[in-house]
Amino acid sequence: MPVAAESKLKVVIVGGGTAGWMTAAALTRLLPDHCSVRLVESEAIGVVGVGEATLPHIRAFNERLGIDEAEFMARTRATFKLGIEFRDWGRIGDSYIHPFGTFGRGNGAVDFHHYWTRLLREGAPLPSLDTVSYACSLARSGKFDHPETDRTPLSGTFGYAYQFDALLFAPYLREIAEEGGARRTEGMIANVERDGESGDITAVVLADGERIGGDLFVDCSGFRSLLLGATLEEPFVDWSQWLPTDRAVAMPCRTRTAVTPYTSAIAMPAGWRWRIPLQHRTGNGYVYASAFVSDDDARRALEVAVEGEALAAPRVLRFKAGRRRRSWVGNCVAIGLASGFLEPLESTSIYLVQQAITTLIELFPERPIGASDRDEFNRVIDLEYDRIRDFLILHYHATTRDDSPFWDLVRTMTVPDSLSEKLDLWRTRGRLVKYREGVFLDPSWVAVYLGQGIVPEGWDPRVDPIAPDALLRSLETLRADIAGDVARRPDHRSFIERYCAMAQAA
Amino acid sequence: MRQERLGHVLVAGGGITGWCAAAALKRRAPFLDVTILSCAPSRHALADRIACTLPSLLGFQEDLGIGAADGIVRAGSGYRLGTLFTGWASGMPNYVHAYGRYGASFGATAFHHHWVRAAQNGAAAAFDDHSPAAVMARAGRFAPPTAGTPFADHEFGLTIDVGRHASMMRAFALHVGVREISGEIAGVTLDADGGIAMVDITAGPALRADLFIDATGPEAKLRSAIDDDRDDWSAWLPCDRVLIAETRDDPMVLTTVTVHEAGWRWASGVQSGFAYASGAISDGKAARVLRNATGAAADEPIRVRAGTRPQPWRANCVAIGDAATEVEPLEWCNLHLALSAIDRLITMLPSRVPIPVEVAEFNRQTLAEAERVRDFLAMHYHTARRGDPLWRAIAAADPPASLAHTLTQFAERGRLPFFEEETFARDSWAAVLIGQGFLPRRVDPLVSGVPAATSRAAMARQAAAIAAALPHVPTHAAYRAAQTRHLTR
Repeated sequence: MPVAAESKLKVVIVGGGTAGWMTAAALTRLLPDHCSVRLVESEAIGVVGVGEATLPHIRAFNERLGIDEAEFMARTRATFKLGIEFRDWGRIGDSYIHPFGTFGRGNGAVDFHHYWTRLLREGAPLPSLDTVSYACSLARSGKFDHPETDRTPLSGTFGYAYQFDALLFAPYLREIAEEGGARRTEGMIANVERDGESGDITAVVLADGERIGGDLFVDCSGFRSLLLGATLEEPFVDWSQWLPTDRAVAMPCRTRTAVTPYTSAIAMPAGWRWRIPLQHRTGNGYVYASAFVSDDDARRALEVAVEGEALAAPRVLRFKAGRRRRSWVGNCVAIGLASGFLEPLESTSIYLVQQAITTLIELFPERPIGASDRDEFNRVIDLEYDRIRDFLILHYHATTRDDSPFWDLVRTMTVPDSLSEKLDLWRTRGRLVKYREGVFLDPSWVAVYLGQGIVPEGWDPRVDPIAPDALLRSLETLRADIAGDVARRPDHRSFIERYCAMAQAA
Repeated sequence: MRQERLGHVLVAGGGITGWCAAAALKRRAPFLDVTILSCAPSRHALADRIACTLPSLLGFQEDLGIGAADGIVRAGSGYRLGTLFTGWASGMPNYVHAYGRYGASFGATAFHHHWVRAAQNGAAAAFDDHSPAAVMARAGRFAPPTAGTPFADHEFGLTIDVGRHASMMRAFALHVGVREISGEIAGVTLDADGGIAMVDITAGPALRADLFIDATGPEAKLRSAIDDDRDDWSAWLPCDRVLIAETRDDPMVLTTVTVHEAGWRWASGVQSGFAYASGAISDGKAARVLRNATGAAADEPIRVRAGTRPQPWRANCVAIGDAATEVEPLEWCNLHLALSAIDRLITMLPSRVPIPVEVAEFNRQTLAEAERVRDFLAMHYHTARRGDPLWRAIAAADPPASLAHTLTQFAERGRLPFFEEETFARDSWAAVLIGQGFLPRRVDPLVSGVPAATSRAAMARQAAAIAAALPHVPTHAAYRAAQTRHLTR
């Protein structure tokens, strides 16, 4: 039953980057009868999007919007992503992959890592952990294929995401949004009008004097947080005591080595460096703590490290880890950087945008906006932020590195209680704090713990009765089964060439 | 540092709970030395006395390798598809809470949102008409999930013969190597760390172990020696007495639960019972109510103190079942909570000396689970609409915060927020809330992605498919008889 136009909620989105256009596309596609969407953006304001690595959840988002994978990948010059390679984190010289998949066959009564821990503690000769995860092996071999929909075979034990050009994603979503009736207005916001009584935002006024009124304002203005931060003055919860990096210098380059089906995160003396291979170029950046390295030195360190000819001048971004105390206040919902920032170490930026959009749609309000929708939204989003925060802190804290003041700081800092409890449980006997809801589930925690050298002291006693050589034999069978299957899979680059027209290399 | 492996476990309690614990520990961790002190089960232990069980019992038995032949047919169990609630909201028809889906989702959102729209347009059939398991149960029929039919994805519990089931579990436990000691607990000696050093028994030497499992019922004869801290839930769960009459008829595939001004009565075929608030009716009068309703005489009343131990596990002693959590049998969670604790203990099996972080994590999960069961039960009372004083008082009490959150969200737009360690699926919550006429104020906007007429047609098609397939499903009695014939052939 169509809803009369005047009863539709008027949604005004401020900012047209990835967050803004994702929101506009989703609202117009999924709630066409309940809202009208206007988006205000200015070409004079830059977009932060620096080439994005994503999480597997993005596929559900695209699917829900009816986006065809091959077309999306061609349009955004995307590559497949099976996980993240971490180099030099636990100590210099280490390398491990956090896969979007399981270790082992993922079907035992006792989790795989308990067997692994026991063998490790007993000094058994073990292959690399990567070789007993299908996703890791596929990634290390530079191959890709879609996972089986049935999860029983090894080739069904993984998921995947994309690495794409965020500057191309937003325009693609803009087409979808505008097709669905979203109206774009070019302009700078000069003033925000508020209701004297409720404090709600009533309109944004542009530099040219145009006044755009609305019922619900979505703040996608990025770091400026124009509505939630600057106007409504919602306090910022600062997490920089645990996540001290506060700048990044980014610079794309030509791809000289392989188009890897994974993102790399390489630890640096004052932070870490990303490498994100797209179809036509490779994105690079150094995320650093300005207290420990100067902008110039960081830039030079990045320039030295990148693999090919630079395709743009390096540019510096500034940020602070944390989130606004609430993301939805009054009639204003902040999505993306306007609501908070967590460094891109685990590719969570677009995930957080997507969760905020999905939750907003599930809790889409009516006039007047009720507290129960708002409170539930904030409860869900806060939990997402807090859990990702702990997972990120783990990467810095679980290290033996003592080669720079930065690593000394993060290695020895006091971590949040919620994380130290998780660490204690893991260290004691490889127990994981079980959540069914939340972005990073058991295998992710196992990958980082083991990858960064936190080996539990004990393991599940049900592992004990099995003879070590029997365990080693089944491990060898597993490794051989994985290697045999992976060998038959196509090379990542040729898969992309066949699957979605690959853009010419720049 | 190497941790010494757990060796000797003593389970105290000779009811189903104790035997399930001993059997599961020995079967799933065969290196353990498991002894059971099969002392007489407490007559107040609902987990050991209630015949109605949830689907989790089947999963538990399957993990042990106990198949349908031993675990169901030879033990004399019937199948349970759900519960029929009558009289909980005046003026509303009765409703079924079945263990399966209500409607098949179409479009971007859960089925119940479509139903709410249809209801607001005055064009909805009863919510449980959309549940294949509920329809099957009302018709007195039963089939296990069968692919290619509308009855493809439900779960079911059992109505057990309590005595035979306990014997079956005992035989299994002894078969896998559990050692049985008979006797009664005469005393408990604590050690210097506040744990249990040994258990004195009436005949024979005192019993020592690395880990003590207390399955002695609400008296918690071991665990209460350490402390008796409890969270009290009586403000939300009013019934503090339960009468059980063993009626010994054929088990019913649909258990009935009927409201009384002082509580509620149930009938499962093999048992009938009456849960009531002692402040609202005398024990004698309650016994007459049950006798008049069933013709069977009841046992002495069972006492229920609704509440839980916030720390079922302390030091080297783990309380399970009624020793940990007491709730009235509404929705049949007593044995379920015990089995869930046993599972959790096995997947978190400690070393010889339990480590505090592991104990704390076990307690965190166990408490979260118990509190959501409490919420689910309290929801039945809070959303009931009756004029009797007991019912008005309980509906007026502030619900626990977590339940209040669920109710606020559901009342607004039918949202059922996610909780970790939840026993009952979202469809179960929806079945009871909607069944009691607790309806969302507005329709979820996402529903509008599917036109109302399309949605109505899809619902009608689903209902028609269920109705068409129903006559091909055997009656519960016929299904059981065929299974028995098959076994004895």
